[in-house]
Amino acid sequence: MSIINYANRIIDFKIVYYGPGLAGKTANLQYIHRCLPNANRGNMISLATGDDRTIYFDFLPVSAVTVRGFQTRFQLYTVPGQVQYNATRRLVLRGADGLVFVADSQFERLRENVESFRNLEANLHEYESTLDEIPYVLQYNKRDLPNLAPVTYLEFVLNRRTSRVPFFEASAIEGKGVFDTLNTVSRMALASEFGVERERRHEVS
Amino acid sequence: MKSRNTVIQPQDAERIHEILTHFLDDSGAAEALVIDRGGQLLAMDGDAQALDAVSISALAAAAFSSTAAMAQLLGEPEFSVLFHEGTKRSIHVSTVDDETILLAIFDQRTTVGMVRLFAVEASRAIGSVLGAARARPKPAAEFAAPLNDTEARPAWTPPS
Repeated sequence: MSIINYANRIIDFKIVYYGPGLAGKTANLQYIHRCLPNANRGNMISLATGDDRTIYFDFLPVSAVTVRGFQTRFQLYTVPGQVQYNATRRLVLRGADGLVFVADSQFERLRENVESFRNLEANLHEYESTLDEIPYVLQYNKRDLPNLAPVTYLEFVLNRRTSRVPFFEASAIEGKGVFDTLNTVSRMALASEFGVERERRHEVS
Repeated sequence: MKSRNTVIQPQDAERIHEILTHFLDDSGAAEALVIDRGGQLLAMDGDAQALDAVSISALAAAAFSSTAAMAQLLGEPEFSVLFHEGTKRSIHVSTVDDETILLAIFDQRTTVGMVRLFAVEASRAIGSVLGAARARPKPAAEFAAPLNDTEARPAWTPPS
């Protein structure tokens, strides 16, 4: 969970991008890395196979605004989406302060989205945590492709918990929706440090 | 196991700095990093300013977590030490507590045995400082009031 350091006046957060394989988690980080100036980001590390599938995680540290005298920094991680990598997926999830669930909007990927979402809940359970405790948003990615499931249908399938969360349509490869997603989840993580989860309610209303 | 927020006060940072300074002097290691097991850097000392310490922290925490998962597959609670030997510099990673690890970078001026020996002592002392820090309630001062609209503004502007 977050690290508040009074000695150097920095708060560090960990944000994890979760979702099925090939949903575009890495594409989100690559776009952020490409767009942010060097002053606001560190090196991006990708632990991937030869064909660029994430085998462990991608990692990108970014710095953000100063709030009440504390500089805020966010460490962005992706998990490997492929089913067989659940052990590493669970390790990356450790200590997450915010989550982005990246869903593939294509009709034929609905089952994988649902299975991945359930897997997320199961892995959080391993850490004695739940989605009620960690700020998260949904990103419906690949809206540039044909054979799309309507957003209302994706909402019905994935955003059906007691408290609905913000969602974003995206085409991460083109950058659409990437910063809206990042800005929102980072604000939610930040807001959760300051006593109330105002942001979550505010975004949905 | 559930992770807890960590609040490091200036006196904690100073105490950890003292412990790491002693550790570096005694062991002969060049750099020492205290890392949260989720991958976040808590403190560092030595020549570490020249390193990409943030990236090293993320990778070391991942590597250490992987070995811990392997240990569990063998019925071990954990492998308490991880050692990577390089031609010029090597890395020694060891357990501080359930939430923290200590990473030391060293070269031919010392040996893995020396680093391991003094890492045990340093880890115990750091664990004590962090344990006390985590047990303290979160200070209310800056965190009592919710964020106002200015503070909650978007952090990054997407390219137009």
